[in-house]
Amino acid sequence: MLRAAALSLLGILLAATPAYADNGGLTPVKPASENAQAIYDSYMLVLFVTGFVFVVVEATLVVFLVRYRRGDRAREGEGPQVRGHTRIEVAWTVVAVVLLGINAAFVFVQLPEIDDAPAAGPAGSIDITVEGHQYYWLYRYPGGEVAVDELVVPVNEVVNLEVIAPDVIHSWWIPALGGKIDAIPGRTNHTWFKAEREGTFTGRCAELCGAQHADMTASVHAVSTAAFTQFLASHSPSSKTVGQETFEGVCAKCHGLAGEGTDHAPPIAGRRFDATTAALIKGGGATMPAVGEDWTDEQIDATIAYLNESIGAP
Amino acid sequence: MAADQETHAPSLDWKQGRVTSWLTTTDHKRIGILYIVTSLVFFGIAGLLALLIRLQLASPDQDFITGDKYNELFTIHGTAMVFLVVVPILAGFGNYLVPLMIGARDMAFPKLNALSFWFFLLGGIVLYGSFFAKGGASSAGWTAYPPLSESEYSPGNGVDLWILSLHLLTLSSLAGAINFTVTILNMRTRGMTFMRMPLFIWAIFTYAVLLILILPMLSGGLTLLLFDRQLGTHFFVPEEGGSALLWQNVFWFFGHPEVYVMILPAFGIVSEVIPVFARKPIFGYAAIAFSTLGIAFAGMLVWAHHLFTVGYGTGLNSFFMIASFLVAVPTGIKILNWLATLWRGNISFDTPMLFALGLISLFVIGGLTGIFVAAYPVDWQLHDTYFVVAHFHYTLFGGSMFGIFAGLYYWWPKMFGRRLDERLGKFHFWLMFAGFNLAFMPQHFLGLLGMPRRIYTYSEGGAWEIYNRLSTIGAFLMAAAMVVFAVNVLRSRRYARVGNDPWVANTLEWFATSPPPPENWTAPLPYVSSPRPLRDLRIRLEETRLG
Repeated sequence: MLRAAALSLLGILLAATPAYADNGGLTPVKPASENAQAIYDSYMLVLFVTGFVFVVVEATLVVFLVRYRRGDRAREGEGPQVRGHTRIEVAWTVVAVVLLGINAAFVFVQLPEIDDAPAAGPAGSIDITVEGHQYYWLYRYPGGEVAVDELVVPVNEVVNLEVIAPDVIHSWWIPALGGKIDAIPGRTNHTWFKAEREGTFTGRCAELCGAQHADMTASVHAVSTAAFTQFLASHSPSSKTVGQETFEGVCAKCHGLAGEGTDHAPPIAGRRFDATTAALIKGGGATMPAVGEDWTDEQIDATIAYLNESIGAP
Repeated sequence: MAADQETHAPSLDWKQGRVTSWLTTTDHKRIGILYIVTSLVFFGIAGLLALLIRLQLASPDQDFITGDKYNELFTIHGTAMVFLVVVPILAGFGNYLVPLMIGARDMAFPKLNALSFWFFLLGGIVLYGSFFAKGGASSAGWTAYPPLSESEYSPGNGVDLWILSLHLLTLSSLAGAINFTVTILNMRTRGMTFMRMPLFIWAIFTYAVLLILILPMLSGGLTLLLFDRQLGTHFFVPEEGGSALLWQNVFWFFGHPEVYVMILPAFGIVSEVIPVFARKPIFGYAAIAFSTLGIAFAGMLVWAHHLFTVGYGTGLNSFFMIASFLVAVPTGIKILNWLATLWRGNISFDTPMLFALGLISLFVIGGLTGIFVAAYPVDWQLHDTYFVVAHFHYTLFGGSMFGIFAGLYYWWPKMFGRRLDERLGKFHFWLMFAGFNLAFMPQHFLGLLGMPRRIYTYSEGGAWEIYNRLSTIGAFLMAAAMVVFAVNVLRSRRYARVGNDPWVANTLEWFATSPPPPENWTAPLPYVSSPRPLRDLRIRLEETRLG
């Protein structure tokens, strides 16, 4: 009785919880790119096959436990002394191999859609470099434009990403736009997506990269071609926008959005930022990492200008 | 014989004290108990670390633990659960049971056996002590991927002590593994051929061989990492020409078979317990024995499924996907053979049986979610998320730990001459079963919703918050279950004594007294003519009695 109550309570809890989630939590998040869709389909196939096995095995277990419980029989009374059955062994081995084969075959069928970027549409395609840093993402566009943490791309265009990391290993992952790919020092990785609809898709760094791994969020904004052109125009490395994005995505994660300091780094508000700051950003200091070791001078200057303007001494 | 040895060793009275006799023991049973008790203490500490982790994640935007402290917590939690809990507690069972089950008087190398234990204890103290090191304990994860674990990104001595601790523990395990292998190969009693060995012995033999094959790889990798940190070499530093991926291959060449090191002996325990409480012979003895070897063999060929997201090409990824799928075949064979053993049995639900059945029902989930992460494009979504955390807790807690508790309840009467209380035991089981599912089932959904592992905080409310809260509640239910177990253990000294064979079991350890004396045997052992020598003996005695 107690057991039944405990089990049914657990069942209700587990059944009720996915219903609470926005997309159920039983499947990957709603795909917004072909490769993510193909992964989603593969997931569903595996879910059906393993779900079938799960139900058969657990049901058999429960039925056997109920049906063959001791009940009124003597504790030491033995069941039939069956030691095995070769044909049954062979049969269920074959069934297991076949079920796994179905999974593998389906994955291979889906593979081209996941691996290969489709031919560029009329709007063309765009190549962007994604750099994972402790603890921010830096994006470099073909025209020299840069952005931090928030990647803006044109909707319905193939976006080819070159993923690298200058410090430690990070992992680029926007669930709605496909699988993750690691950003590994000394290695250049590639992935792609094609956002099917306008909107914001969020993600996080998926490989432990240090104390503030949790702060390393990313988002992709898929926008119209017009909005994208506007975005590029405002993101030259020397622009105030880039200075601000850099401050918020890089400096503020340790020093705070008002430069007030956090557990990780001292306050920096109320001082003048100059060539010493630039050297610190580029080369690091006693405790400060070289966060901007591969930034252009324009980006560093824009950041310093923004620092002085926003939190610097009056 | 024991008395002889004592007379031959003069002026060793100090070794006879209540404490000193344990400190100097080379008796496999005492060493086994030392292993088990020490592992359980380490289990308690690693469990407390887990509770801190779950408290921090119970609600969004909590900050009572900082990012770097949080990273220390899960690094030491993971390392400890693998190296200080599951592997050594299984070594404890192996130490206690291998000589008894194969009819030997001790392990092949009793002093080496003692050395194994003391290295293990030392390694544990170094690992937990590293919290007090300069810069705190290692915060690079139990996988310690460079460059993060290199001195540039992990200054302080945490990682160095982590390496030292693992060096000590690998030495301990390696010596133990050699001891098990030699003992099982050479010291089986009359009549005990390989195909008449208890299935637990098959599992421990495979466990030992696997350890011998993989531990040198880990030791080598650790040494290179230590050189990088202390001598200025660049084995894993890409900007100096090293390779970050070299470490990942080395680590997982060790690390994945290590998973089977942790699960196969637990499977072995289940293969001992189920026939006894279903009153039937194990179904498919040979299939289970060879599937153990099959899992070990295939398990050596799957390590790079941990590297599906590093950007290797389709060829390598496909190979490791298929190889990983193949591991599911011998694993499935075991589970189906256990089910067939239950078929038409006379099933008693004593606590050891409950834990063994718990293992079957939970490991099925952990095994099947393994198919998801082995299908490499699907893994691109699941890798390094809470889905993976849920998956490996279903295999290593739902699998290994449930098997370990089955073993503790099953062999406790042999080890201490008293049975643990059944009512408390059943309460322990149901609390742990419910708590475990509540803690880890929602983590699958969290991973699918996009929650990566190893993040110390999150801002998302909604489903993230609900699932995390449930998981934390489940973790505390599990902790409560452990308290019930501890109460049961502490009260057990007052429980009634039992005879040699309280469960009416099949294997030779139940021929010895409970607990067995030094050197184990007080009567000549029966000739072993099947995998169930004790049942054979019971039948012979019955026939003699009936005349």
